[in-house]
Amino acid sequence: MTRRLWLPAGAVALLALIVLLTPLLGLPDPVRMDVPGRLAGPGPDHVLGQDEYGRDVLSRLAWGGRVSLTVAAGSAAIALVVGTTLGLLGGYLRGVVELVTVRLMDVVLCFPPLLLALLVVTLLGPGAGTLILVLSVLYVPGFARVAYGGVLSVRAQDYVEAMRALGAGRTRIMLRTILPNVAGPLLVQLSLAAASAVVLESGLSFLGLGVVPPAPSWGLMIRGARATMAQSPLLLLWPCLALTLTILALNALCDALRDALDPYPAPPRARRHLLDMLAPGLLPPRSDAVLDVRGLTVEIDTPAGPIQPVREVSLHVAPRETLAIVGESGSGKSLTGLAVMGLLPAAARVAAGSAVFLGRDLLRLDEAALRRVRGAELAMIFQDPMSSLNPVHRAGRQVAEAVLAHQQVSAAASEARALELFEQVGIPDPASRARSFPHELSGGMRQRVMIAMAMANGPRLIIADEPTTALDVTIQAQVLDLLAGLQRERGLALVFITHSLAVVAEIAGRVAVMYAGQVVEEGPVERVFAHPLHPYTAALLASAPTGGGTPPRGIPGVVPLPHALPPGCAFAPRCAHRIDACEAAPPPLLQAAPDQAPRCIRWAEL
Amino acid sequence: MGWALRRVGISVLLVWAVASIVFVAIRLVPGDPAELLLSQGGMAPDPAAVEQLREQLGLDLPASEQYGRQMLGLLRGDLGRSIQDDSPVLDSIARRLPRTLELIGAAAVLALAVGLPAGVGAAIRQGGLLDRIGSALSGLALAVPVFVVGTLLVLVFAQWLRWVPAGGYVPLARDPAGHLVLLAMPAVTIALGLGAVVFRMARAAVLDVSARDYVRTARAKGLAPRRVLVHHVVRNALGPVVTVVALHLGSLLGGTVLVEYVFNWPGLSGLLVDAVSARDYPMVSGIILVISVLFVALNLLVDLLYAVLDPRVQHG
Repeated sequence: MTRRLWLPAGAVALLALIVLLTPLLGLPDPVRMDVPGRLAGPGPDHVLGQDEYGRDVLSRLAWGGRVSLTVAAGSAAIALVVGTTLGLLGGYLRGVVELVTVRLMDVVLCFPPLLLALLVVTLLGPGAGTLILVLSVLYVPGFARVAYGGVLSVRAQDYVEAMRALGAGRTRIMLRTILPNVAGPLLVQLSLAAASAVVLESGLSFLGLGVVPPAPSWGLMIRGARATMAQSPLLLLWPCLALTLTILALNALCDALRDALDPYPAPPRARRHLLDMLAPGLLPPRSDAVLDVRGLTVEIDTPAGPIQPVREVSLHVAPRETLAIVGESGSGKSLTGLAVMGLLPAAARVAAGSAVFLGRDLLRLDEAALRRVRGAELAMIFQDPMSSLNPVHRAGRQVAEAVLAHQQVSAAASEARALELFEQVGIPDPASRARSFPHELSGGMRQRVMIAMAMANGPRLIIADEPTTALDVTIQAQVLDLLAGLQRERGLALVFITHSLAVVAEIAGRVAVMYAGQVVEEGPVERVFAHPLHPYTAALLASAPTGGGTPPRGIPGVVPLPHALPPGCAFAPRCAHRIDACEAAPPPLLQAAPDQAPRCIRWAEL
Repeated sequence: MGWALRRVGISVLLVWAVASIVFVAIRLVPGDPAELLLSQGGMAPDPAAVEQLREQLGLDLPASEQYGRQMLGLLRGDLGRSIQDDSPVLDSIARRLPRTLELIGAAAVLALAVGLPAGVGAAIRQGGLLDRIGSALSGLALAVPVFVVGTLLVLVFAQWLRWVPAGGYVPLARDPAGHLVLLAMPAVTIALGLGAVVFRMARAAVLDVSARDYVRTARAKGLAPRRVLVHHVVRNALGPVVTVVALHLGSLLGGTVLVEYVFNWPGLSGLLVDAVSARDYPMVSGIILVISVLFVALNLLVDLLYAVLDPRVQHG
């Protein structure tokens, strides 16, 4: 990242050095005319030749750059100081100051920039001084906005409050705490303003309204060379090149600064490894299962190397069964569901395993075949129904779209089917709700729309990823009842991903407990809850609030990060029962009973 | 509906603010405009002539009365008379403005036709060939000033290849083919920079929307990739793209100056530059006012259009 910053920064520094040292370079006088030598080509005295008045081109390029960059740097610096001061004052003092400094700026932004420049030039006459003035006026609002925004976000934070409580004066607070926080964006704004100033200065000079001849300027040089471009095109090309390279360097610096200051760098691009996709599941699938997941491992490339947020997860769901996957945030339960659906985020990929759904391995289907399964026999309900529904389409249409994706019916028939589905999921007044946009519905209604969408093509299995987490408690119960009812009536299988043990107890027949990307215990809900065999399951149950008087007990320590997993049992560092053997090697899932399997070598003793 | 009315109200206020600022700015200049106008070549102007001009321009009246007259004139659509030839300012603007709008419109169509699909394509295959080429080209296009592009186009296509004339204008009615040929180069010049902006914006918006939950939902429904792209990704990405394009079109209203100058296109901007050189205050303030009104109206249009594209806006 810093390496990408060096190149443009170096280029801009080189430009600055050239224009600073121009007077010392011993170049010919840039304004001395030599009519007999007009349009002469390169020679020993004039390295790049002479222009239409016989003036030295190289010298004019250097001196012109000096003018351009002085105007750019001067106006950007003035705008920086004035704009930042106004923004800081407006954001920190609020009230009338805010109105005057920040709101008035919006009027300046109402003028197209070149137009404002022309107006000022009309009034004050052309010249470098006018240019600096007008350009700085143009850029003040930009800086003021950045500073103002920065202050608003920083001023409420604890350390600013703390400094105020310590009796620090306002000026001191602004200069010491707030300014460093907005320095980054201001720097970006500075390079942006400088680049734009170079463009505007050369443009105005080109029109004859900027730098006054005979003083050299790239814009003026292009203006002058236009008349003779047929005879000596090089005369035109040199200033064009100088101008373009300067702006390119400033733009690149601006982009690099922005990237370097971006707190959320783009994730590295995921690549699909063909080999991983070809390695099949080693064991034949269970014949009775709707879904049989074996050894599923999900990998994410991070700057620190690949991590495995899901490791060798095996699950199976029988017809009409509800399997709950329970675990804390980051245990890998949602990624497991997304991997089965083939909807992993771009940075993640399936590294190993199989997921056989009705006889087909979903992890090895191509996208077209997978698409015919998704939303038809296999559907998914997501956590946040607000963000999961498209804000610009009506609710009914989004459900009808799911019907149309898999059934050969007319648009009208799909709309009618959507209304039926709305009725089935208990949406009152379906006809009017179908015409609503998602933001016009309540949270519970939105989740019912999502459920209707999942039910659209009579699925055999629904994966519900925390479908009630974003809802109010009373609405949660209604949605759970709805799902349980639909499951009974339609005989579908349900995978219910949740972090709530109460929800598990209410809806599920079997439960798989996940910890740090692995299933640590699996079994029937009543048995696992009554006799947990894995210490993590026991600790999780003890940490849940109960109706009785016993206060919940927290689990000491934190979930290990995926790139810093302990060598042995992932739960060992937090486990009260750990022995040396626990930390030596990762434990396998052990078949403690025909239908209960903990991933703990000490289950029998405990 | 109330929301839309409020937006219209704010726009009217903005136009009033711009008109007032132009009025004040002209009077803030040190020196008397009439004196400045008449003092050419360093000669002291004839006091009688100055007085006569002041009267003619209404500068002898108190500032408040001048302001009132000007605002009343604006309400009636009267922008005053040019100092240069005493013709109504509005007539000159009405003759020149359509040409500038035509130029901007042609450039916008070109820029959208190329930039939008290229930006969407680049986002779909992020890091692919189209993405890398497009990003590099748009970076270059944004770095070359528009008058440099124009001048170089003239050098190559008019001077060297002699495919097209170096510039000029014929009315569409008189010579349709010639009109389009003369329109092509300035339109392409503007479209180059504008297309780069459209490309970048479309690419960024599509990448942003692709990561949203509702796109995952659309895929979970089993929709075909094309349908996910068109109905869910692009449909939601259009809002920001439309906004940015429209804002750029707005700044082009005053920004075609350079292109019109390079190609000798007799649009509104050329009129402005001439008026600036001649210190024709009524003309300058009239043109700036008209452009500002268009700019504000364009912003209003974008807001209303955005409300159509994104039903949440009206409630926000």
